[in-house]
Amino acid sequence: MGSEGVKDPELIVIGAGPGGIAAAVEAARAGVTTTILDENPKPGGRIYGQFNDGFKLVNPKFLGPDYEKGKVLLAEFDTFRQKIEYLQDTLVFGTFENRIMAFHQAGKGHRLPFNKLIVATGAYDRPVPFPGWTLPGVLTAGGAQTLVKMQRVLPGKNILFAGTGPLQLVVANQVLYGGGKVEAILEAGEINNWLKLLKGFSRNWGLLTDGLQYMRGIRKAGVPMLRRHIILEARGDSQVEEAVIAEVDQDWRPIEKTRRILKVDAICIGYGLVPSVELKRLVGCKHRYEPYLGGWIPVRNENMETSVPGVFAVGDGAGVAGSSMAMFEGRIAGISIARSLGLISSEEAGKRKKPYLSNMKKIRHLRDALDRISYPRPGLFELANDDTIICRCEELTLRDIKKAIRKGTSEMNELKRMTRMGMGCCQGRMCVPAVQDIIARQTETPAAEIEYLNQRPPTKLVPINMLASLPGEFEIRHGW
Amino acid sequence: MMEDLRIWKDVERGQAFEIEVDGVQVVAYEGETVAAALMAAGIRITNKTAKRDQPRGICCGIGLCYGCTMVIDGVPNTRACQTLARPGMRLETQKGLQRWEVRE
Repeated sequence: MGSEGVKDPELIVIGAGPGGIAAAVEAARAGVTTTILDENPKPGGRIYGQFNDGFKLVNPKFLGPDYEKGKVLLAEFDTFRQKIEYLQDTLVFGTFENRIMAFHQAGKGHRLPFNKLIVATGAYDRPVPFPGWTLPGVLTAGGAQTLVKMQRVLPGKNILFAGTGPLQLVVANQVLYGGGKVEAILEAGEINNWLKLLKGFSRNWGLLTDGLQYMRGIRKAGVPMLRRHIILEARGDSQVEEAVIAEVDQDWRPIEKTRRILKVDAICIGYGLVPSVELKRLVGCKHRYEPYLGGWIPVRNENMETSVPGVFAVGDGAGVAGSSMAMFEGRIAGISIARSLGLISSEEAGKRKKPYLSNMKKIRHLRDALDRISYPRPGLFELANDDTIICRCEELTLRDIKKAIRKGTSEMNELKRMTRMGMGCCQGRMCVPAVQDIIARQTETPAAEIEYLNQRPPTKLVPINMLASLPGEFEIRHGW
Repeated sequence: MMEDLRIWKDVERGQAFEIEVDGVQVVAYEGETVAAALMAAGIRITNKTAKRDQPRGICCGIGLCYGCTMVIDGVPNTRACQTLARPGMRLETQKGLQRWEVRE
C-alpha cells in the first residue's frame, strides 16, 4: 500500500469495532476496495474484543450476550477477508492537507492518501476529577472491564463501583461471577426510572434486558446497590484505602449528613462515555455540543457523512449510543459510499439501507430517554476542590486553572498556552471535558460556546525517529 | 506467598514465566499485559509524577491516559496496559518523565 504499483484503496476505515467492521463489510459487499486501520491486535473493538494469544476461552458464558453478537459480526467480517485489507496494531496519528494521513505500524511511519474515509474510533470513559482520583487503585469502569473480562484479573480485593448507567452493573457482575468481592455499587441517578424504561423496551434492545439480569445477579450476591449515591473522595497513603461517599439530591449534590466512609482497595468510576473526536477535528469536521451524547460530536447528514465531503463518522465516536447503533450507522455509511462510487444504484442503496434505518429509529427514542436520565448533573462537576488535580499529565490543580481564568482568559487554547493544560501525553483527553465545564462556570458562559482545543498531530505519543523517517512532505492544515 | 488476583474460571492461561519488577520476580502468563500481571500481584504503583512526586497507576486501562507508564526494558514512558509481558522483561517504577536514550 502506498508504494508504487499498488493501488490505494477506495475506502479507508479507521477502527475495527462494531461500526468500522459493519461499514467495511457493506462497502466490500458492493465491491469497494477497502482497508481497515486498527489500533488493536485483533478486530472487534472494545465490546467485541478477542482474547490475546495465550488465553484459551473454555466457557464463554461470563462474556454475556455481547459475545454471541460479536461472534456473528466477526464471522461476517471473516467471509469478506479476501476483499478487505485489515491492518492490525496500526495507529493513525494525524491527517494533513490534501487528504493525506499518516500512521505508525511496527516501528515504521507510513503516508497514505485518502478519498473516502470512515472514522470509527469509539469513545472512552468520561474523566471526572474528584479528590483522590489520581490515586493508584482508582480505575475507569471501562479500564476495569478490560482487566476483568479480557485479562481475567480483579482490580482489587474489595471493590467499590461509583457512577451511573448499566456499564458498571455489567462489570460488577463479571467481578462477582469471577469470585471477586464488591463492597457496594453507587448509582448517582434515579435507577427506578431507567429500570422502568428497560422493562418497557426490553424487546428492542438486548443489552437492557441483560441489564435486568445483572441487577438480579447483584441482588443475589447481597451487594448493596445504593441509588442516588456518589463518591466524594478517594483516600489512601500511596494507593486507595477508603472512599468517602454520600447520598445526593437530584442535581447530584451531596447531602452532608449522609457522608460516610467505606473501606475499599479499588474504585471503579463510570459516568458514561465521551466520544473520541481527535481525528475528526484534525480532518476539519464541524462539531456541535450535545451533552446527552457525550459532549462534542461531528455534524453529520443522514448518510453519516460529516461536513468534510467524503469523510464519514460512525459509532460512539460520533455520539455515544451503543454497539447496535454503531453497527447500523456503519452499514448506512458503507452502503452510501458504495452508492457514491457508482457501484450500486440509488434504488439498490435504498433497499439495502431500509432495515437498518428502521432499526435505528426503534432504538433511538429509547436511547434518548436513557440519556436524559443518566447524563451528568451539575453536582458531578463540583466534586473537585482547589487542590484536586485536573490535568493529570501536567499536574495542574483546579486552583491553577481558576487562576489562569481570573487573569482574563475564557478560551481553551489560550488557557493551554498559559498553563500547559492538555499538552501532556494524553493530549487533553483526560482534562478537556472537565476544563470545559470549569471555564463555563467561572465565566458564566454556556459550555457549548467554549471552543475545543485545537487538534494537532500526533494525536498520540509516537517515537520521534519514526516521524523523522516518514516519506514525503506533510502540509499542516490551515487554522492551526 | 505473593497475592494473586487472577480469575481462573472459564479461561485457560498460556505458559507461565517470570518478569522482574524493581528487582523482584513476578509471575506473568502468555497473553497478559504488564498491567494485568502487576495488578494480579497487587502491585499498583507504576510511576511517581515529575512535579509533585505523587504515585500513579493503571487508570483508563486502554492506552489513553498514560497513567501507567513505566521504564520497560530500559525504555521510559511505556504504557503497562498496552505492553504484553514477555519472559525476562525488566520493569522499573518510573520517576518523572525521564529521557529516551538516543541510539545510533
